[in-house]
Amino acid sequence: MNAYFPCAGARALHAPTRRDFVYGLGASLGSVAFSALLAQEAGARSGPLAPRAPHRAAKAKACIFLMMEGGPSHLDTFDPKPALERLHLKEFVREGREKSAMESGKRYFVRSPFRFRRAGASGADMAENWAHLAGVADDLCFYRGCQVDSVNHPTAMYQMNTGNRFGGDPGIGAWVTYGLGSLNQNLPGFVVLPEVSYPQGGASNWGSGYLPAVYQGTPLRAKGAPILDLAPPPGVSAERQRRNLDLLARLNAGHAAHHPGADALAARMESYELAYRMQLEVPGVLDLQGEDAATRELYGLGREPTDAFGRKCLLARRLVERGVRFVQLYHGTWDSHDDIERAHGNLVRAVDQPIAALIADLKRRGLLESTLVVWCGEFGRTPDNGVRGGTAYGRDHNPKAMTIWMAGGGVKAGHTIGATDETGMEAVACVHPVRDLHVTLLHLLGLDDNRLTYYHGGRFKQLSQFGGTVIRELLA
Amino acid sequence: MTPPRLLLLLAALAAGAPAAEPGADAEELFTRRVAPLLREKCLSCHGQDPAKRKGGLDLRTRAEALRGGDSGQPAVVAGRPDESPLYLSARRDHGDWEAMPPKESEAFTSDQLDWLREWIAGGAPWPDAARQEEIRRARGAAWAGEDGVTVKTSPGLSPEWNARRYPQADLWAFQPLRKPAVPAGSAHPVDAFVAEKLAALELSPAPPAEAGALLRRLSFGLTGLPPSPEEVAAFAPAHAADPRAAVAAAVDRLLASPHHGERMAQHWLDVVRYADTAGFANDYDRGNAWRYRDYVVRAFNADRPFDRFIREQIAGDELDPENPEAVVATGFLRMGPWELTGMEVAKVARQRFLDDVTNSVGETFLAQPLQCARCHDHKFDPIPTRDYYALQAVFATTQLAERPAAFLPQENRAGFAERTHLEQRRADHLAALQRLDERMLANAAAWFRDQGRDPARWDAAVAQARAQERSKKRREFEGAFATARSILLRAQVPEDAFPPKLVGLTPQEYGEERVARKGLERLRWELERYEPFALAVYNGRTPDVKSVNAPGRIPAARLEAGELEQTCILTGGDPFSPGERVVPGALSALGALGTGPVPDTIDGRRRALADWVASPANPLTARVIANRVWQWHFGRPLAANPNNFGVTGGKPSHPALLDWLAATLVEHGWSLKHLHRVIATSAAYARSSAHPDRAAVAERDPAGVSLAVFPLRRLSAEELRDAMLAASGELNRAVGGIPNRPEIHPEVALQPRQVMGTFAAAWVPNAMPAERHRRSLYALRVRGLPDPAMEVFNQPGPDFSCERRDAATITPQVFSLFNGAASHARALALAHRALRESTDDAGTVARCFALALGREPTAAELAACLEHWRGQIPLAGEATPAPRPPLEVRREAVEENTGERFAFTERLPAAADFQPDLAPADVPPRTRALADVCLVLFNGNEFTHLE
Repeated sequence: MNAYFPCAGARALHAPTRRDFVYGLGASLGSVAFSALLAQEAGARSGPLAPRAPHRAAKAKACIFLMMEGGPSHLDTFDPKPALERLHLKEFVREGREKSAMESGKRYFVRSPFRFRRAGASGADMAENWAHLAGVADDLCFYRGCQVDSVNHPTAMYQMNTGNRFGGDPGIGAWVTYGLGSLNQNLPGFVVLPEVSYPQGGASNWGSGYLPAVYQGTPLRAKGAPILDLAPPPGVSAERQRRNLDLLARLNAGHAAHHPGADALAARMESYELAYRMQLEVPGVLDLQGEDAATRELYGLGREPTDAFGRKCLLARRLVERGVRFVQLYHGTWDSHDDIERAHGNLVRAVDQPIAALIADLKRRGLLESTLVVWCGEFGRTPDNGVRGGTAYGRDHNPKAMTIWMAGGGVKAGHTIGATDETGMEAVACVHPVRDLHVTLLHLLGLDDNRLTYYHGGRFKQLSQFGGTVIRELLA
Repeated sequence: MTPPRLLLLLAALAAGAPAAEPGADAEELFTRRVAPLLREKCLSCHGQDPAKRKGGLDLRTRAEALRGGDSGQPAVVAGRPDESPLYLSARRDHGDWEAMPPKESEAFTSDQLDWLREWIAGGAPWPDAARQEEIRRARGAAWAGEDGVTVKTSPGLSPEWNARRYPQADLWAFQPLRKPAVPAGSAHPVDAFVAEKLAALELSPAPPAEAGALLRRLSFGLTGLPPSPEEVAAFAPAHAADPRAAVAAAVDRLLASPHHGERMAQHWLDVVRYADTAGFANDYDRGNAWRYRDYVVRAFNADRPFDRFIREQIAGDELDPENPEAVVATGFLRMGPWELTGMEVAKVARQRFLDDVTNSVGETFLAQPLQCARCHDHKFDPIPTRDYYALQAVFATTQLAERPAAFLPQENRAGFAERTHLEQRRADHLAALQRLDERMLANAAAWFRDQGRDPARWDAAVAQARAQERSKKRREFEGAFATARSILLRAQVPEDAFPPKLVGLTPQEYGEERVARKGLERLRWELERYEPFALAVYNGRTPDVKSVNAPGRIPAARLEAGELEQTCILTGGDPFSPGERVVPGALSALGALGTGPVPDTIDGRRRALADWVASPANPLTARVIANRVWQWHFGRPLAANPNNFGVTGGKPSHPALLDWLAATLVEHGWSLKHLHRVIATSAAYARSSAHPDRAAVAERDPAGVSLAVFPLRRLSAEELRDAMLAASGELNRAVGGIPNRPEIHPEVALQPRQVMGTFAAAWVPNAMPAERHRRSLYALRVRGLPDPAMEVFNQPGPDFSCERRDAATITPQVFSLFNGAASHARALALAHRALRESTDDAGTVARCFALALGREPTAAELAACLEHWRGQIPLAGEATPAPRPPLEVRREAVEENTGERFAFTERLPAAADFQPDLAPADVPPRTRALADVCLVLFNGNEFTHLE
């Protein structure tokens, strides 16, 4: 499962056509040919996805965003709290009126079941079960100061992904693509690799909101056809489809003659040819068979429990390599209310090797410098829990503390920035709201949040909603 | 991107304003220009709040400005603008000084820069408040002509806000509505106003559209459906004989069609954000939302006076509580996404509703996006924060409930039998829980054995629980295991003396338990669909509820139990930071409008607000709906932002025309059908969409607002689908009823979708083709599961009000329309129909053209299509049978409490009766080949675009 089968449901058009020669695209596309294609097309392109200059020179040109949906526990991954050993099972009393029903009943501090160690030359705090990630620890910049405004999944997810808790606004990938365009006109600029099951809040997590629809995240589906209706239905051969396209072009040309200068009509005519090119290109990108055995091994392909996320990570690298601007990967759910040892243990086993492989692979290909990698959830978890279902200990949602890490172009690798309090309940150093994280991510990609605006509903809207500040501590 | 409105406004300000002289005039310049500028652009970071102060710079006094901030340099060097960082930052082009304010959209305009420069050059004087007031008193009258007028409103958060001046032009929508005189020289009033603008632009109008194009325009515009070939054939000669009479007759016929209300409802539901589910984590069904949708259709069909339509939607329950129609109408107030889960703070969720409904009333009826005034006085419009909360206070006693509302005879209740499928699902869940209950009881016995404890007390509790179970007739499941635990807990038995919750369940069983339990919860909402209840509101105190996981009813103690909300100005919009109390009211800038005050009793608040909104004296309401109706015909509005008539919204291209239409509407008893008739019978409406002198239009009317041509527009997602179904003859024209489920992309239909604690049920298409092929208006709208074929053609998401549809061309539209199963099925059905309805090949192709495009093919088109048809026959060999939806789907997920995978099978019994559409295997290659011609017609620009 979770395989990106190159041609399942997306049958390539096998008969070569004149357009294959025009656009230089075959079924198996090497990156050399591709770079040439990019160079050739870069100059002359226009349109909403044409590459645009950033507001400032920046190292990062693309972003891979690893969204650990459900809320990974910072206390059991990258932010050890020895105090919880002492407090373990002591009663926890919470003050404050902003309580939800989740926080009712008797609650107890819970120690982490994981052992911690210092990883890399930088000595990053890391639970021992991150066996592979430790190998690239010095490439990571950990951030412990971020806070969100919502304690509930969909609203926190919306905020992390769009800046707006209540949904409907453009996703961060949509903003980046709106700002920078894409280097590849035959692929979507913003690609999402969701779990088979969509997260709470659904496709609005990567929507284009009020930005033009062209900037919305295109999910490459984990099962079945990677893009809906990329290929015609069964029984429609390439030749048959090509002939249909030719008749369409003929009828449209006749119609256009009566409407000279109607841009919308011309754009529609062009979109059929573009779709045809995408139809040819996408299967090649998704075909992981072209990767050598060592690379496939590196990402943990072909075995449990790493195959599913390994494929996503490898595909993310291939997409970025081909000029896709923003790739968001989902993994989850990290919502471990009970038995965090088992739940987080299984989750880490599934992503540890693939993520470490992604960093290492980007680095050896010289792509890490130009790629920003972000790992985060929608919030962190509490140091306490109510007793549910007996003796298994988990943790609840915590909007006040979490760990985020970044790697790649422009980030302060090998450092841990910010801190949480003694029990990890709340961030206390270098504390910033999500909007500042967003402004910083845009900054790393060369975009100025205050200039990346879109006029809608009576005002200029921006990812940070009302403006924010760059978290300078995170910058190299 | 530049802020066009703001630039215009400032340009207007500057025009005629003599450049202020340096020196003595600098004091006046400061008072009039610079002080307000500093307040607007600088003080939020360099003033009031020391905690928020950036760079140590305080711009509240001259001394501080001269001292400067952390840079150590003065911000202002009196007499030397080019050495003053304040000025250099504002210019945004100086290497050493960061551009300020940081947001580019708030940059100083060149006039503003000039004022700043001249003030500094003039010595940067800084008169104190008293002196400023003195200057204002002395010079205010002289400024008024150039700077605009003040607007009397309730108090803002600061006195300066109330002293703000608005150029008259910015207050256009707030001016009393008076019917302008119609300019002479045109037979039709609409054309008279349009002609004025064309003359001013020195443009001549395009010639009239051809009869076929015109009828197509009228049909889509008034009903959302294409004309039949027979209607086209009848219209052409009538139009040739007497165009005016032919159009008038067609308009009357279309306005009388039941599909007219459907078309208008589609527009209205875009604005109010209709969906059949509630969004967020659970995305629960709103089983009764469809009754509100049908109410809207009925209201438009019956030409319900628009003022009454407003009143019913805001306060139907107060106006006529015994009338189900009026109760159903208040569904409007519930249209926003909303839920309350145990994971959320109840007060925050309540505030979310209040903010949503306040803004929605503002946008929908008044074109005022009121959320702009939630945290601060409106930055551009005369709406203080106090007004925002006064309007919100109207809803402080409005509570959410599914209220009893008997079905009306005119409501379509067909298809209720589908309920049996839900009952089946319910039985499955109950059986699963029963099985797991037995398992836990067995595990409990093992638990006592393992622990070496005496199970006597537990066994007694289980026996008691079993007896209780039989005696109580509960709708939901409560197993003996859980009941036994509750019994012992109530008896104060220590928790470690009996088995824990869900004892001994495997991760698989853990998952199954949750799926069944949450499944039952979800069914409560779905089963509501067939019950005589309305998605509605009632008046009362706010009940103390921590989570809402079943349809709500009006509590008996609505007036006694819970909190009587006292609305306050919320600092920063935060419900935990209440400020000054406010009383219920409306927008103070408009005054009482002759309607009564809003009472602060529990009942009657909304009725008073509705009277105010729907008052003929309210200058916004009639303009807003007239502007929308215009857009519903022309694809673009007269005032560019139908949801925003404030300073930042686009000003009307034809202000007198808009006022004339609005006044005409009120004059004719708020009859929208009258307004449609007026608009659709104008010459402007009947123009061609191609202009003979394209260059002139492009040059003199680059924004395309002159109405020299009828704007070409792409059909909306719903029109495209409905038009294909109409052409193929498959369209089921029944009006109203429970939502249907057309076939959506099968992978999306079965796509696992997380909701709180489980998966949402799969999308199972209706069994019968006729049920599936209803108009797109009736398709179940699930917030968390948009139909990709609709979404790709810019169907707006239902979270925000959509004032105008986007029609951007994006590549995935091609995948959907050219490769998608639905277009292929429609093309095949059209081919099949055309063959049935004609006798020879040429006639068949001609029939395809008539049905799809409403015209005859040209000779060249006919030849090309015939050749294509013949050429495709040998390629159309591989025929596939119709796909059927599966009877079950296997769900795999990570169980959230254990992080382990579990799987379960979702049964889809409704799929058992599925009858597929006509499939390629059902017809000969000749038909399949003709279907390719039809597919091309459906994909052509002529089909997708309306001239």
